[in-house]
Amino acid sequence: MLNHFEITFKSIIRDRIFHGIIFSALIFLLIPSVATLSMRQATELSMTLSLSLISFILLLLSLFLGGTHLWRDIERRYTYPVLSWPSSRSAYLVGKFSGIAAFIFLVALLLGGVAVLTVLITAGIYPPERPIVWNLFFLSIFFDACKYILIVAFAFLFSSVATSFFLPVFGSICIYFVGNASQQVHDYINAPATIGISSITKNMATFVYYILPNFSAFDFKINAVYRVPIQVSGVLMTGVYFVVYLCMVISVATLLFEKREMN
Amino acid sequence: MGGTKRHILSFCLFCLCYGLILGPFVNYMHNKPYAEKLGVLPTIATLKFLSADQKLLIGSSLVMRVITYFGGLAEMAKNKIEIPPDFPVMSRTIHAAVKLDPYNNDAYYFAQSFLVWDVGQIDIANSLLIEGMRYRTWDWYLPYFVGFNYAYFKHDFKSAAYYYQKAAELSGQELHINLAGRFMQESGQIDHAISYLTLMAKDASNPVAKKTFETRLTAFKQVSLIEKARDRFTLKYNRLPESVDELVRTGLLDKTPSDPYGGTFFLLPDGKVGTSSKFAFKNPKGNRPDSGATP
Amino acid sequence: MKALEIHNLVKIFKTKKGQSVHALNDLSFDVMQGEVFGFLGPNGAGKSTTIKTLVGLITPSSGNALINGVPVSTGTARLKVGYLPENPAFYDYLTPEEYLTYVARSFLVPVAEVPRCIEQTLKLLELWDARKRQMRSFSKGMVQRVGLAQVLVHDPDIYILDEPMSGLDPLGRSLVKNIILELKNRGKTVFFSTHITDDVEKVCDRVGIIVKGSLVAVNNVENLLKGGVEGYLVSLQSADSTLQNLAPFSVLRQSGTIFEYYIPKDGFNRFMELVIRSGSEVVLVETRRKNLEDYFLSLVK
Repeated sequence: MLNHFEITFKSIIRDRIFHGIIFSALIFLLIPSVATLSMRQATELSMTLSLSLISFILLLLSLFLGGTHLWRDIERRYTYPVLSWPSSRSAYLVGKFSGIAAFIFLVALLLGGVAVLTVLITAGIYPPERPIVWNLFFLSIFFDACKYILIVAFAFLFSSVATSFFLPVFGSICIYFVGNASQQVHDYINAPATIGISSITKNMATFVYYILPNFSAFDFKINAVYRVPIQVSGVLMTGVYFVVYLCMVISVATLLFEKREMN
Repeated sequence: MGGTKRHILSFCLFCLCYGLILGPFVNYMHNKPYAEKLGVLPTIATLKFLSADQKLLIGSSLVMRVITYFGGLAEMAKNKIEIPPDFPVMSRTIHAAVKLDPYNNDAYYFAQSFLVWDVGQIDIANSLLIEGMRYRTWDWYLPYFVGFNYAYFKHDFKSAAYYYQKAAELSGQELHINLAGRFMQESGQIDHAISYLTLMAKDASNPVAKKTFETRLTAFKQVSLIEKARDRFTLKYNRLPESVDELVRTGLLDKTPSDPYGGTFFLLPDGKVGTSSKFAFKNPKGNRPDSGATP
Repeated sequence: MKALEIHNLVKIFKTKKGQSVHALNDLSFDVMQGEVFGFLGPNGAGKSTTIKTLVGLITPSSGNALINGVPVSTGTARLKVGYLPENPAFYDYLTPEEYLTYVARSFLVPVAEVPRCIEQTLKLLELWDARKRQMRSFSKGMVQRVGLAQVLVHDPDIYILDEPMSGLDPLGRSLVKNIILELKNRGKTVFFSTHITDDVEKVCDRVGIIVKGSLVAVNNVENLLKGGVEGYLVSLQSADSTLQNLAPFSVLRQSGTIFEYYIPKDGFNRFMELVIRSGSEVVLVETRRKNLEDYFLSLVK
């Protein structure tokens, strides 16, 4: 498994599309000057922009790496020799997945470092009213990375059955939107002020809500930007949710991948 | 195959774990403070830029967020959970939505339904609506709202008459001229409000807004009942009644009217009808310029 | 001892239109240890399907296959197997050296031995100079040699090669044949598929012929060829008039004063008597042997 992990890591680093995506991190250079446009909260704005930029880069990475990596191995028949080796298919899939996951964490960490510099520069020019809480800042980036790793897991799930890249790429884009909206839709449907929805629809919606991923849980951007403290229980809950949900998705993916015919 | 069985088993195990944490998790998400959910917005210029070609979509989603947020608060209030609504954020969000999509009727509608009653920001609401009139040139609702706000809240009857006239021109109905005329006499304030709210409630397609209007309408109808009883009392006894109870005792009211906001009605020394609820489920401090005890 | 056992293998594919295609029909055969077994069949006969079943890439609809007595569904069954896919492709962003390291580690080759194994294999396949180049720049022949390298690098006991000679130039083909013969000398088992009979004749001990998913024959190559001489091609130089003496035999081809005859084995002595009597000059005598290709064609048709 470690073996697959290493090769995946190598492949990402040598990938040209990855170089292109990382190139977009140059936008960080613009953030301090853009942040000065804000009159009253330059530091907050630079934090918001940094976090959003990190999110955006991680989103691109997760869609591109998750959506094409496994699929390309199958499409280009790299899997023929590899899957005939003694290690199991699940080891291959999990190894590959953890390679990408580790990579996303690494990129998040690096970009987080760049973001800290950016925010420090802005804060140096326009000192904020309240001190910056770096713990919250990093926690927000960490959970953001978790969210995108979950998207990679879904992309792997789709790749394990897909014969073209449409399902993994567009499927995970859908998951991205659905996962971000699920809590809002749930709240709306279950707001008692919402009338005219039958109880059957409501129950079905609730059931779907239970199954779909909930990315709102991973959103701690506001806490980071406005230093709103997070309860430890909230962090733990989100962490446990991430691990369990991830295991669930990956176990379905391996199950399907084990059964897949390599024609 | 043994492998498959093991995989199915581990999948079931994870599902079980998921089932175990789902309850607490859903609970946690449900109780995640609302202030966090409405979130912050970038400046409107940034938002416009970020929305790219999806300005309408983003605008609508902002309005939806505010509506859901507000609906949730109303529900919590009913369950005696006090969470102060973040009116400034709501107001900002609506503003942003209007900037992204100046035609978004929901935004104006919702602004009118909470900015004026709950926040008392009449000027903000009016400037928003007047801005909107530049875009929604066919819509008589916006001038009608403005006219109502001028007349009812600001007692600026000249401006009110001007906007009612505009509304009348657009709607092609005499209704608004009549309204303006009736209102000019400065009698029957409460009837004026009732006719306004009836119209609003009738047209409300959003359940949250509808409910808001209907609640207020119910309350105002009760006030109207009390006022009518008071007037009959004054005719009969040639003095003002001392309390609502007195009206009930003298048989001019069937029973003590109940305030849907959970307060109790009372009579002020000058005979005006007030309520302890101040016509709101809760009264966030500092958001209301006047006492608001009387409609 | 049996290296590979295939029992009643059936594979039914479902097409997208919902039709069933029987790729393998009740296929059974064994490959013995130390044997070179040629798996011969026309395109689409089910050779690749059989091989993919053996290496666990597809699951049979029914029946089973064993490697050294272990069912193929177990990953560890393939620990001593080297598999070369048909028209193989390898991670093109890796160098041969990196890829072979990946392979060797996956087959649990002791870490200390990995560099030595890789060097040996790369040198054998003449890839040593290209070992640090990314494979995306490789020609088809080089990729095929990398394919052989990844089979050889962990020194397995059983080699399963799917069309190992396809896409190679004559030099490459002879290299592959030599490698197979050398593996045979070292007592390894080689099971390879091909649609070229010549490959089988040169290197195989036994041949199995598969047609439309069924095994139609398994035979010893030596026995097949031992049938030996079937007849002779005889070329004579003579004048037209003398040919009348050879009347019982008919002329196969004529160019100028050269006449070519095909003489079955049992008619040869009589023919030669007539030739001597006619005074013609024998230019060339060629023996006609029984040919695997003829045998193959007769089975396929």
